[in-house]
Amino acid sequence: MSASLVAARRPRRPRYRLRRVIAEAAASALAIVLVIWSVGPIYNMVLIALDAHGDVFSDAIWPPAPTLESFRIVVTEGYWYLENFWRQYGNSLYVGLSTMFLTLLIGSLVSFTVGRMRVRRGWVLTNAALLTYVIPASFLAIPFYRIMQSYGLANNAWSVIAAEVTFATPYAIFIFQQYGKSIPIELDESARIDGATPLQVYLRIYLPLMAPALVAVGTYALLLAWNEYLYQFLLLSSPASMTVPVALAQFLNSDEAPWNYMMATAIIYALPPIAIYYLFRRHMAAGLTMGGVKG
Amino acid sequence: MSVTQQTVAVGPPRTERHGSAGAWFGGIHGTELAWAAAFALPYVAVFLAFVVYPVAYGLWLGSQPALYRELFADPVYLRAVLNTVLFVGIGVNVKMALAFLLSGFFLRKSWWTKGLLVIFILPWATPALPAFLSIHWLLNGQWGLLNNALYMLFDIDGPIWLNSRWLGLGSNIVAYIWKWMPFWTVIFLAGRMAIPQELYEAADVDGDGATGYRRFMHVTCPLLATLYLVCTLLSTIWTLGDFSTVYFVSGGGPAMSTEVLATLGIRDAFVLAQPHLGVAAVMSALPVLIPIVVLLMHKLRTSEVQL
Amino acid sequence: MAMNRMGRRSVLRGSLGLAASGSLSMPHIARAAATTATVWQTQGFVPAEDEAIRKVVADYQKASGNKLELTITPFLALMQKTVSALTTGDVPDVVSMDAPDTLLSQNAWDDKLLDVSDVVETQKSVLSPSALLYSYVYNNATKKRAYYFVPYKMSAIPFHVWGSLVEKAGYKLSDAPKTWDAFWDFFKPMQAKLRAKGMRRVYSLGLQLTTVGPNDGNGVFYGFLIANGGKDIVTPDGKLHTNDPAVRQAAIKSVAYMTQAVKDGYVPPEVLSWSDADDNNAYHEKLIVMDFDGTISTELALYHDKQLYLHEMVTLGLPLGNDGKPIPAQVGAGGGFIPKGAKNVPVAKDFLKYILQPKVQSEYLKNGLGRWVTTVPSVVKDDPWWLDPSDPHRAPYVRETLLGPTIPVYNAYNPAWGRVSAEQLWGQAFAAVVKDGATPEAALDKAFKRAEAIFAQYPISVS
Repeated sequence: MSASLVAARRPRRPRYRLRRVIAEAAASALAIVLVIWSVGPIYNMVLIALDAHGDVFSDAIWPPAPTLESFRIVVTEGYWYLENFWRQYGNSLYVGLSTMFLTLLIGSLVSFTVGRMRVRRGWVLTNAALLTYVIPASFLAIPFYRIMQSYGLANNAWSVIAAEVTFATPYAIFIFQQYGKSIPIELDESARIDGATPLQVYLRIYLPLMAPALVAVGTYALLLAWNEYLYQFLLLSSPASMTVPVALAQFLNSDEAPWNYMMATAIIYALPPIAIYYLFRRHMAAGLTMGGVKG
Repeated sequence: MSVTQQTVAVGPPRTERHGSAGAWFGGIHGTELAWAAAFALPYVAVFLAFVVYPVAYGLWLGSQPALYRELFADPVYLRAVLNTVLFVGIGVNVKMALAFLLSGFFLRKSWWTKGLLVIFILPWATPALPAFLSIHWLLNGQWGLLNNALYMLFDIDGPIWLNSRWLGLGSNIVAYIWKWMPFWTVIFLAGRMAIPQELYEAADVDGDGATGYRRFMHVTCPLLATLYLVCTLLSTIWTLGDFSTVYFVSGGGPAMSTEVLATLGIRDAFVLAQPHLGVAAVMSALPVLIPIVVLLMHKLRTSEVQL
Repeated sequence: MAMNRMGRRSVLRGSLGLAASGSLSMPHIARAAATTATVWQTQGFVPAEDEAIRKVVADYQKASGNKLELTITPFLALMQKTVSALTTGDVPDVVSMDAPDTLLSQNAWDDKLLDVSDVVETQKSVLSPSALLYSYVYNNATKKRAYYFVPYKMSAIPFHVWGSLVEKAGYKLSDAPKTWDAFWDFFKPMQAKLRAKGMRRVYSLGLQLTTVGPNDGNGVFYGFLIANGGKDIVTPDGKLHTNDPAVRQAAIKSVAYMTQAVKDGYVPPEVLSWSDADDNNAYHEKLIVMDFDGTISTELALYHDKQLYLHEMVTLGLPLGNDGKPIPAQVGAGGGFIPKGAKNVPVAKDFLKYILQPKVQSEYLKNGLGRWVTTVPSVVKDDPWWLDPSDPHRAPYVRETLLGPTIPVYNAYNPAWGRVSAEQLWGQAFAAVVKDGATPEAALDKAFKRAEAIFAQYPISVS
């Protein structure tokens, strides 16, 4: 589309066309490399999932006798680690979407306050947030276990959501702040002059302009919660209240497991977040046009 | 907390406008303050409830000097430090640089680039545990997919990847980049999408000369430099604490030669039941961590409007 | 509330008969205010194990009127959960864990567990001595050993052999030599025979020289060490004996044999980086003829496939040592401990007494398909199920674990051994020999020196 526009503006010159052909060829080559790179390990997962015995070692690069049996087992909850699969799937959506929503809400409110409302010591808050990452999350499990007990949140899905939001929000704040830099503050100011309250500026100007960042960070928060399992084992006690990664982690409990079921579960489970990202992503145009917003 | 009218230097035209805005701000100072407080309140609550105590507790766990003497006495420790430097240093920087470049590629408007993006982010969405197990198995020298493919396509006998320290370490780094590059690409892609189109048009005055290069050097790079730096520093901090890549891909083998501080820490804390020692293992990276945190704090503090 | 109490009383009356048979007679507990206890349990390898513990808990609740809150968690997550609990003090009443080896001895050392000698005492006379030794760990605060663990299951490392592959290679398993090295040697020529018959990727031995396992490589080395006469590398008093020439010789011979088998090509070269599951994967896919790996889970995973389970796979206990004398199998135990700070100690102890009873633990473990063996030798003599000859795996495994000579894993003698194992000193020695061309002597001297330094941090004054 853009190409035809450009073409209309300029006379077609052979040199230009040649360059375009080379660029297209290079892009196609890069695309092939990217597909092989991205799909390689996943292809191996598919090979294992399609094997009737879940053999992980093989001398083939193509499934010798592919069967969809393991996918059937997963969706029919036909194996004991997967007996709560659909319930856990629902939990995944609940925990993942709650984490996503809360992270976006809390993170964007803070970065709006600090970055756009010009609170003089706002940086104290963002700098303090950095403390969250000084000790890796896997080692903060111990104190988290303790505070959730004291708050009476043990065995409650909200303890997991709270933990995920705690780890996701500082990142959201940092990214929103960096991102907000490229949105001219004049937009806010002119709205204020027109009598808008900060809430209206936040809702009508800030959030719409932040859309690409909201989608990116939202996907980050969703996936953080989507694939986490250690905190769930730590904070929850019933498999029915946990999410799908808990089922996946169970496969590692013994040194024997039907790896085909594990891989089939992982493949089925990886698709929704991608669909969610894609759905939001495709509604955004690349490159904002400030003029439209200003006018 | 108070509201200020002007915390940063802005260009002359803006200063002019600021005068009127300042008067407007001053008029409802109290309400403004209330809004700011209300907006910040949810995170302040999260911070007080879930950050202060756990982090203080974690620091306290690793605070005894004796732990560090014990740590340094572990003959694997120094090698793990070197591995950590390589794993984090190479892994993070290569990942970020590639992600940054690829984010430009994914800005292309053709229909198949959008489809490609969906495939490209698959590794990020795939749960880490089965994905890394799959990588561990496909690297198997005798019976793994990679060497099978090398043999069938190119008639090459591949090495036993995980039996060598350097190939093992390299495998961990590649697996790490594979898993996390899509995430950062998406972040940079969002960053690029935030750049107002007008800025590119302004840079495009010369017509079709070296436009791509100029756009990149004069618009994209300066605008995204801070974002890139902040992301790289954050990623460094996270990767210092990442144990799952090494744990599942090479398992620290062969002969503990690819262990990193995080895997040693997990072992000490949860296999040997000595959490103090485990936290000390990751906290021994503080000499690297503190400058990063200070730099990040500085960047976050001064990262207000600079356009 | 009233209804509840009525119900409990009648149940109590009803269970008097049961109580008389065992040692379940603490009626005062039922009257105590807090009768709910929390129990954390390791998830089983097969679903039957989880069903079995649920049934025990249900039976106990019925019999005692107490309530138990059971949480079943996979092994690694339970370790993390338990360490978190013990560190912060928000503990459950009972942790029922399979093979807590280092976690048990380290926390007893740190004075974080409750002395449960009175529970163990109720069955002490009938329990396996190795199960008792496993549970008798040292407290560095009191400078004494005591029972901090109630052992109601045991496991060992048996040999897993593809009988069908042995036959295909033209051998008979009954011809296998009776001493250790010769037994391993017996399988070596099968590799060439099987490859000649088209199985070109097969190897003879699943000899795990890995450091990644994390326990597999250590377990195999200790098997060799004991077979070569090095059993006393750690003694029950918690002392390390690397300066004992017999131990040193045994260790050198073990490393030499194991590494030579790899160099000679009888072991997949990958073993240096095999993960915990990789030997099982290779075994299941018939890529190795035999494997030496803990418990009979390898076979139970194929329990549904009667052809493989009954006719193709064989489980064997240990051969004799290289000196022709019987050697002890090293056993781990599973069972319960009570963290200090538990809110409901009486119920916790009462439950542990209940499950420790020979009949109760036997039923429990039978329901779990026998992956874990009871800790009471007389039980398997009285109940034909345990030594049922129609099951080709259970009987040899039970004989090795319970009826033959055994010793506990060394972690019980001194938590320092946990660090020795976790630092993979032996696995590093293997790699030094295989990859860097070091001599077994030089590689072991390095390992021994480090082991001595670790033990120096864990002095045990009283035995």
